[in-house]
Amino acid sequence: MQIVAGTTSHRSIHTATKRIINDVIGDINGTPDFIIAAYTPNYREKKNYEEAITKLCEESGTDNIIGGTFPAIATSNDTPTTQGCSAIAFQSSELEIQPPVSYSNIRINPERGAEKLVKLFKNNQKLNTTGFFLTPGPNFPPDSFNDMKMLDTIFAHKFRGMFNQVGKLINRNMGKKGYGVTSFAYKILKKLLENGVHNTLGGATVDLDMRSCFQFQGNDIFQNAMVGTTFASDSLNFGHSWTFDKSNRSKTFEITNGLKSSGYIHTINDKPSKEEFLNVINISSELYEEEFKGTAYASLLYLSTLKSKNQENLPFVSLCHPILNGVIATIPEEILDESDKIAEFCTQSGIGVQKSAYQCAKSAVQGIDNPAFGLFINCSNRLLIAGDKTEEENKMITEALGADVPFMTVYSGGEFSIINHKPVYAAVSVHGLVGGYNKSPQKNVVF
Amino acid sequence: MSSKQGINSELQDLTHLEEVEASILFRIDGDVVDSSFKEEYSHKLLRTIQWCKANVDKVSLEMKSNNLKKVTYELSEFCVIFYVVNNITILTTISSRNANLSLLSIESKRKALLIANYL
Repeated sequence: MQIVAGTTSHRSIHTATKRIINDVIGDINGTPDFIIAAYTPNYREKKNYEEAITKLCEESGTDNIIGGTFPAIATSNDTPTTQGCSAIAFQSSELEIQPPVSYSNIRINPERGAEKLVKLFKNNQKLNTTGFFLTPGPNFPPDSFNDMKMLDTIFAHKFRGMFNQVGKLINRNMGKKGYGVTSFAYKILKKLLENGVHNTLGGATVDLDMRSCFQFQGNDIFQNAMVGTTFASDSLNFGHSWTFDKSNRSKTFEITNGLKSSGYIHTINDKPSKEEFLNVINISSELYEEEFKGTAYASLLYLSTLKSKNQENLPFVSLCHPILNGVIATIPEEILDESDKIAEFCTQSGIGVQKSAYQCAKSAVQGIDNPAFGLFINCSNRLLIAGDKTEEENKMITEALGADVPFMTVYSGGEFSIINHKPVYAAVSVHGLVGGYNKSPQKNVVF
Repeated sequence: MSSKQGINSELQDLTHLEEVEASILFRIDGDVVDSSFKEEYSHKLLRTIQWCKANVDKVSLEMKSNNLKKVTYELSEFCVIFYVVNNITILTTISSRNANLSLLSIESKRKALLIANYL
């Protein structure tokens, strides 16, 4: 089995691609079976990514490529970059990777997209299976918030039940334009679960400047699509885990009222939500705007978590836009339904971020004696907290997996997993998938 | 690629980032080893570069004595990141005031490491 990972950086996407072909594809003896390619969003134009991915397909000799754009990317053998390309290539007779699938307009119809993944899972006849998929991430260009102003009207407050339906329509309309949060991904996880999928890893592409982010499958470049595949093997095991920095917990607040369908909160602690949110985090609206206007007004340093009955504490991000009175929260309707609506603040720290990356990798590798590769979806918010210490996080992952284990980390706009039949939809977290061998190989037991 | 070309290419990579106005590789005595600028630059930027040139020796002394790898100055118009490349050179990245400094410091660090390989 050959698995090679690498990262290159250059102002020109063509040079970055040439170097990645040389460093990663060139190291594989023959044609790789499958490649995950991640680019940073600074090359902007769709045409640039089309040309780069076409080149990658031509030179590698395979169309079995998926990937996307992420604010930063890293691999086990190189420092992270915000201007380049990372890739991990697989060639193995023991690892069956299905030809990838894609579904455009995933924001509008996530279930239909999930069906494509389900088919891939059903094609697998191997002992161990897992999935990997990428979706578009949160996208709020400046004008997009105008569409939500209707959710602040007196009617929306008085007739929440009815406005939930209006909220759904608004969300759908925003989704058609490519706006919104990633809560649609929870529907993908639910659909996979209904169809017996017990493990998978997913992440959202994102541009922190809220411009276009792209997803790749073969030669195709999409803006609002899900791309994904499955990994299956009789000899390799797959371990999954997720975590976030929960070391510093502070205040709690109650999500009193809101429109569940659109993740829009009207009142917090029985008070108008935006004012109360700023009050709880103890920051003036002017300072909040100055601090977070570059990230679509998402309160990236003030992480809230919601205790769900069926899951653990799930982190979510809150957005306070100056033209809106409410708070947009990245909580899927289903999670809000099953939680007690008491949210807790967790303050993230550089050390906490590093430690949690180690914990995630260590827990994913548990039960695997000889890890062969790792894939990590790490929140771009954590990237902002870590800054130039991001490299340390990857060193921690290396420490957990072992020095020679190739892995790839993409910094995403949403992290999703199914781990042992449980869905995990989270923000500001790190999710990992590790594949590898056990010393005593598993045997098929026939009764 | 010669080391001069290599260093210049890394500096150009930095200035190609939207928020970066200039990147300069200084010797700790203030001499410029190499530099790269956006095609259009303002007098304000030139004043900031002069400020960097005038202060790089003091900044590097401070960094050396306190074992600092990176120092960031947020000036009224620009942000300046000084990153240690080796004992005698410092990479200076000048960005717009609203630049995302976390993301920028990741790339500055990467470039400092790559430039160190050329020296």
